[in-house]
Amino acid sequence: MPSSKSRPWLLLAGPLIVIAGLLLYPIVRVTVLSFQRYNLREVISGHPVGIGFDNYKQIFSGAPGLPASYLWKTILPNTVGFAVLAVTLTVVLGTLVALLLVTLGPKVRALVIGSALVAWALPAVTGTYVWVWIFDPDSGVARHVLQGVGLLGPEGHNWFTDRNSFYAIALLNVVHHSYPFVAITIFAGLLTVPTELHEAAKIDGASAWRRFWSITVPLLRPVFAVVTILSTIWDFKVFTQIYLMPGGDGVNPDVFNLGVWSYISSINQTKYGLGSAIAVLLTLVLLVITLVYLRVLFKEEEDL
Amino acid sequence: MTTNSPWRPVGKTIAVLALLAFTLFPIYFMLSTAFNARNGSGTDSLFPEHFTFDNFTKVFAEDDFGRYMLNSAIVTVGTVVISGALALLGAVAIARFRFRFRNTMLVLILVVQMLPAEALVIPLFLQMKDWRMLNSLLGLILVYIAFSLPFAIWNLRGFVAAVPRELEEAAYLDGCGWWRMFRSVLLPLVVPGLVATSAFSFVMAWEEFVFALTFLSKNDRLTVGVGLQHYLGAHVNDWGGLMAASTVVTLPVVIVFVLAQRRLGAGLVSGAVK
Repeated sequence: MPSSKSRPWLLLAGPLIVIAGLLLYPIVRVTVLSFQRYNLREVISGHPVGIGFDNYKQIFSGAPGLPASYLWKTILPNTVGFAVLAVTLTVVLGTLVALLLVTLGPKVRALVIGSALVAWALPAVTGTYVWVWIFDPDSGVARHVLQGVGLLGPEGHNWFTDRNSFYAIALLNVVHHSYPFVAITIFAGLLTVPTELHEAAKIDGASAWRRFWSITVPLLRPVFAVVTILSTIWDFKVFTQIYLMPGGDGVNPDVFNLGVWSYISSINQTKYGLGSAIAVLLTLVLLVITLVYLRVLFKEEEDL
Repeated sequence: MTTNSPWRPVGKTIAVLALLAFTLFPIYFMLSTAFNARNGSGTDSLFPEHFTFDNFTKVFAEDDFGRYMLNSAIVTVGTVVISGALALLGAVAIARFRFRFRNTMLVLILVVQMLPAEALVIPLFLQMKDWRMLNSLLGLILVYIAFSLPFAIWNLRGFVAAVPRELEEAAYLDGCGWWRMFRSVLLPLVVPGLVATSAFSFVMAWEEFVFALTFLSKNDRLTVGVGLQHYLGAHVNDWGGLMAASTVVTLPVVIVFVLAQRRLGAGLVSGAVK
């Protein structure tokens, strides 16, 4: 082959410069920042002060103005609890939709896939505003419908101040936005399962439930693994959908998750060191999930 | 066995209707609010009786939404073109050459995809501030290229690998050099892959929110995502206007999704199952 040894590196030069300069270097810098005090005063003087693990200590045992248990009682439930619920609901709903799609005729199937694509395409910003409008405490349609059936008194209710109802709305938003990817991916996987297997199992008297767990799940294990891990990564770092809901932009610390807390601390409150330490924690969590993902992927694809 | 139960089609119909209702309701509600002349409360928009385009004309005439759309278009086109070109080169290197550290490159590309925007936004904000590139669309384009590149390389890699090597070799036999072969053989054959990859970069750059929110503060530099946020800040409870603006922001994304639909699913599945 008429290729010199340097050609792949010539081709990779551009992408590598971009990745190194705008992704890897910033990650190094945010890690360095996480061991420094870099508040407004240091920004003005231009000299960050090294403080060792103090930022991390603040995260685990209380930053100024926040209760000592803030990480454990607020941030982790909002981040981990939400991710677990969102991933479970997304994957279960996506799988059910995929199984439904297989049984549908071509026209209805196209209709369901088409509408799922539109839900998928709805940008996070606009999607979030639609849900905020639906649940608007004063004039939202949810209030009027619930009052109409007598489930809500005339005084109404602000769903955004309580963190459980806040995250229930975020859950609706995120599941609505992310189930189409799961459904369409699993549906494409289902089409690759030979129908003979199901026919044979049917003759043997296996129920649909039994066939799903004994044929579909083992055969599509890699597909299920990939959609679950990708959903986990996405739902862990959900930001826009939280930040754009009332209170999520810094007003109500009860509803922050790791990403929002990092952003508010650094960008809004100019505590870049503390914000960076929180960001490093988030990155580490995602890195662990990514390593699991890589193992699954490399197991399935021997030759990448 | 319930396979032939008469209730089966009924259950299926109910399932399909419930699913369509959940999936389409937010979109329906966005549109019905945007085209409704009376938006006193949400129930007025549930079954709108007074059709109007006023909300749209208001958003464009009284507000700077036209400007935001233009800014987003500039940023999106810049990102799609540059990241597509760079990704193609990277994908060819990885799919067509065996070299030391090739597997390291693959792992690197997969790992950087997972870096959260919330972690990168702090150092990149400080960097852009030092370079005086806050409020610069170019600064935003640079960041978006970096963000879309890893996935674009990963996605294009499969399309490049699918081009038969025999075609390449035939070109060499005809006396082509490598670059000539690249231009005349490889490039035309991976155009479908480039289209699919560009669709992803397009959507990312068009609707990105975190970096735009952090970098842009001048009104005439905003992109659509932050533009919406500013609109809500400036016109409290003008849901008709906000939903009209949201509709306009959503439309290009839906068009791109529908156009790229087949490739979108195919690429993801082939990436997932093999």
